[in-house]
This record gives sequence, C-alpha cells and structure tokens, in this order.
Amino acid sequence: MARVRSRDADAFEALYDEYHRLVYGVALRMLGDASAAEDVTQAVFLKVWSAPDLFHDGNFGAWIVRVARNRSLDILRSRASHQELELPESLPEADAMEDAAFARLDGERVREALGQLPEEQRQPIELGFFGGITHEEIARRTGIPLGTIKTRIRSGLRKLRTALDGVVTA
Amino acid sequence: MNAPHDPAMLDDVAVYALGSLPASDAERVRAHLATCAECRAELQALQPAVTSLAASAEQSPGALLKARVMRTVRADAQAHAQAAPAKKQPSVWPAYFVAAACFVIALVSTLMNLSLVGQLRQAQTKVAQIDRNSTGLARSLAQERATLADIMDDNARRFPVNGGEVIRVRDKLYITLHDVPAPPRGKVYQAWTLAKGAKLMSPSLTFVPDRHGVAVISLPVDARQTAAVAVSVEPDGGSKQPTSTPTFVVSTG
Repeated sequence: MARVRSRDADAFEALYDEYHRLVYGVALRMLGDASAAEDVTQAVFLKVWSAPDLFHDGNFGAWIVRVARNRSLDILRSRASHQELELPESLPEADAMEDAAFARLDGERVREALGQLPEEQRQPIELGFFGGITHEEIARRTGIPLGTIKTRIRSGLRKLRTALDGVVTA
Repeated sequence: MNAPHDPAMLDDVAVYALGSLPASDAERVRAHLATCAECRAELQALQPAVTSLAASAEQSPGALLKARVMRTVRADAQAHAQAAPAKKQPSVWPAYFVAAACFVIALVSTLMNLSLVGQLRQAQTKVAQIDRNSTGLARSLAQERATLADIMDDNARRFPVNGGEVIRVRDKLYITLHDVPAPPRGKVYQAWTLAKGAKLMSPSLTFVPDRHGVAVISLPVDARQTAAVAVSVEPDGGSKQPTSTPTFVVSTG
C-alpha cells in the first residue's frame, strides 16, 4: 500500500490482481447482477487508488471486503427505498488487531467450513452477510422466531471460527 | 469503565458482527460494547469468521474490467508523474527577484542590463509553457474520464467482438479491446465504419494497443448514422480500402 500511496500503478495492479475476485464475488453475491458487481469492483478499486489513506493499517483483505460489502449495501439501500424494506447497518469497523487476526482468506476452505454448518445456521449467516437484510427480515422470511435466528447466527459463527482455525487466527 | 456483563447480549453481538442489525439496534449494541469487555472479546472472536465469509464468494469478473480500471489508474499516474517535475520548475519569483536586483544595480551603475530582461522574458515564457502543458494534461484527463463514463454507461449497447466490445452510447461509438497482440512490424490496426445506406466501408482511425494489449478507440462518427464497424491490420499510415481480412466486423445499426 505504501507504493500505491506514492502513485505506483504497477503496485496497484498487483493489489488489484490479488483482491479483485474477492471484491467482485462479494458484490455479485449481494447484488445478483454481474454488471452492478463490476461497477462496485471498479468503484472500490478506483477509491483505493484515489484515496489510499482511507486504509490505515491492519489487514488489507479484511478492509477491502468491508468496503465492498458496504458499497453493495448502499446499492441495495437505494433499490430498497422503493420497497419499504429496512436494511441493516454497514459492517462494523474492526480495529487493527481484529483486522490483523484475519490472516489469510482461503476460498476453498471457507466454502468447505460453511458446507459443514447445519443448514439452520448456514442459511441465516449467508442471508445476513450476502442478502443485506436484517435479522428481523431473516426471521420473517424463514418463519423462525427472532431469538432463535440470533442464537443460530452466533452458534454458526463460532463453529465457523473453530473450523477455520489456522486460516483465521486470533 | 466496565459494565456488568449481560450474557443475553452475546447473540446481539454476533448479529452485529455479521452486519445484520438495523441501525437502532446497532447503536444499542455499540453503546454496550463500549462498556463490556466480555462482549468486546466475543466481537473480536467472531469478526474474522464474518470477514472470511467473503472468500466463499470469490468470482472472476470480465477481463475488460481490469482494462478499464488500469486505464484510468495509469492515465492518472502518468499525469501525476508529469505534473510532479512541473511543480519543481523554478517559480517566476526568482526571475522577478533577479530582474529587480539587476534593476537596482543598473540604477546604481546606470547600466541597463538588457540580457536580464531577456532572461526574465524567457522565464515567463517557460512558466506560460508549463501552464499550457498542465491545461493540456487536465483536458486529456477529463477526456479519459468522459470516455470511461461513456463505456460504463448502463444505457450503452454492447456488441461483443473478438477480444472486446464495440460500444454504442448516444451518438458515440467506441471500440474497447483487451489482450490485443501488437501488430506486425510496419503494420497498424485500422478501424472501418459503414455509414447507413452506404455500400463500402470508410477508413477510420489507425491504432496500436498499449503495452498491456489494451486499446480503447473513440470513433469519429455519428453512431446513429453508422451501420457497422470493422477492424483490420493495415500498413503503417492506414489504407483507403481494407487489404487484409478484418479481425472482426460487427453490425451496430
């Protein structure tokens, strides 16, 4: 990032090559539209180029995922403004230590770990993260009590954390 | 100051970490987190698992996206690199200072040093030249941005061609290509356009891709009056009629 801050286009290209699949993948899952996902990816990376100081320290991957998700959420918000649908807040800011704990993303291993979660836990987690909807909306859509949804989200995240031990280490 | 830990809050903290709380609830959880060390530890434990969810969605976008992003970035980097030495050019102040000092000396010695006046004029000319270069760079950057906005326009019509797209937006026509091999020595790529109702293609711009194999061409025609676009390899300087089989021909009418 230091080289990107000094306007090194080659360093930026290396950053793009490493993270664009992550950014595009999150936007695509959230928006369900390849063209909108490409727009988000382009906007996120051009933001990194034009305002590199927005990233302070910690793990760049964790940071750019948060930026991509929040940007996609903005688009979902603008779509939902016509549908009376309450949308969640943006992802909370993690501090540098929490970001640093996120050591390395391994898509294959995360998919495997997610696949091992019971459906009742995996579904609300994926709906919450990629669906851009609140836990109340998840409860409404699935017909499951709100308290149960919250407990399942927590149990699922804890299991995911345990399953990914070594990929994500605190 | 630490507040008493409320285990009932742990589920809310998990939903907060996932980013699925509505704003009012998120505010309440944030206030609690500020005072409860146990819940902060829970958030810290769950947050990496939440972020890792992103990896499960990894996908590759179209190759042209990188070309669009890098085109903007490289143009900006180039403008920045060219602007940086311009900033280091001596300002007009030292020249004025020298001129003023010489004027005083001239007054004292009653000798007019005409060569210093010449130097001052030269310095002023240099400053004017730098100004013109900066204006030119700014204009070129604005043009790049306008082109980028056009080729990303949601209302643009896109015609896939070998190695890219021909894009029609309002009265503009663009050819955007990626991974284009450099033409053979002494040759260039040449665009051709077919006006509506015409029987023969007209020669348009010649171009070569940049070192990344990317070419974005704005065709100097009215898209509304153009029925087709083609590209062929031609001798350097271009041809009046195609001399090789086109790499693509696409109807845009």
